[in-house]
Amino acid sequence: MNRESKAKDIPRAKAEQQVPWLEWVASGIGLLLVLGIFGVIGWQAFNGASTPPAITVEVENVAPVEGGHRVLFRARNAAGGAAAQVEIEGNLSAAGTDPETSRVVLDYIPGHSERRGGLFFTRDPRSGVLSVRAMGFSEP
Amino acid sequence: MTSERYAIGLARAFGGAIIFGLPLLMTMEMWSLGFAMGRGRLLLLVAFTLVLLVGLSYFSGFEKTFSLKEDAMDALVAFGVGVITSGLLLVALAVVTFDMSWGDIVGRVALQSVPASIGAMLGRKQLGAEQDMKAEEERKQEAGYAGELFLMLAGALFLAFNMAPTEEMVLISYQMTPWHALALGVLSLLLLHTFVYSIGFSGQEGRPEGGTFLSTFLHFTLTGYGIALLVSLYVLWSFGRTDNVAVAEIANMLVVLGFPASLGAATARLVV
Repeated sequence: MNRESKAKDIPRAKAEQQVPWLEWVASGIGLLLVLGIFGVIGWQAFNGASTPPAITVEVENVAPVEGGHRVLFRARNAAGGAAAQVEIEGNLSAAGTDPETSRVVLDYIPGHSERRGGLFFTRDPRSGVLSVRAMGFSEP
Repeated sequence: MTSERYAIGLARAFGGAIIFGLPLLMTMEMWSLGFAMGRGRLLLLVAFTLVLLVGLSYFSGFEKTFSLKEDAMDALVAFGVGVITSGLLLVALAVVTFDMSWGDIVGRVALQSVPASIGAMLGRKQLGAEQDMKAEEERKQEAGYAGELFLMLAGALFLAFNMAPTEEMVLISYQMTPWHALALGVLSLLLLHTFVYSIGFSGQEGRPEGGTFLSTFLHFTLTGYGIALLVSLYVLWSFGRTDNVAVAEIANMLVVLGFPASLGAATARLVV
């Protein structure tokens, strides 16, 4: 009787030392995530992550809204370095009238990324010449 | 241990990752630091976290470990749990959207996974009902002085990391006069010493070995404060807060961040 229970205990003790399959799965997923993250960040590090921002602005849509006109734009940072406090200025000029200027500040544009925004004008931008550009930025 | 029991430990790890990671998941500066901080510094921070996780797994992981291999596996699991938790929550909070560039998304998730994965590792200790306290105490005793220093480092890093991303750290240091900074430094030392004395380390009842005021002060308090300051410097440097800043201003920031860091170092034993 005594011997029998002892014999039973040995394989159980062994099984407890064994690594459960779930642990292999979980740590495998962990390893993949670690490698993935190191890969992406490392790739960025060697692909101009610190080149100063270069921002271009593209007008996407102009629509009449209550009280004026709305210009939606997309600001794209083509360089690797992130820009903060990006000031976007839209200038609307038409023959015979004073030019109209609207401004907005985008908090951040990360490297190789886009941010969207909008500007309001009282006159219809399609009636004159509209130029929208980034005025400046600060380093984050 | 069976897979069922391991699954319970894993669930606690997710719980820990959410609870300990949440304050920083909802901190604005963490989002922008994720894509704006230096890539090399972010890589180093993630690597440092992995090493820290291996150490934490030895002292109190979500399962009792027997070898370095197991500690490394636990560290990977904790990191994976941290990444998955941060990723899901950042998507839920609309901090991460899928029209962002990959570099942006990965940067944000990687930075958030630092506190979340430490939380995952501590999850078992904080949320587990039946934990092997005895084995844990034995380990802490075996590890001796070096182990104490490691635990202080882990505690300091965890608390300092929770404050360091915010603008307030820099703002406070600008507001403070040198007298304020000196007073805060003395207060940090006093609190650290009191904690060391009243909580004790390594399962010792009362004072640490040697017992005299001076030896405790030199062995634990001063060393602990030194660790807190170094950890603060490392974290501030990681976030680029020390770039092109005068040494005197950096010293001020170190004292400010050193305050939570030293409290973290002192109370590491409670958490870890």
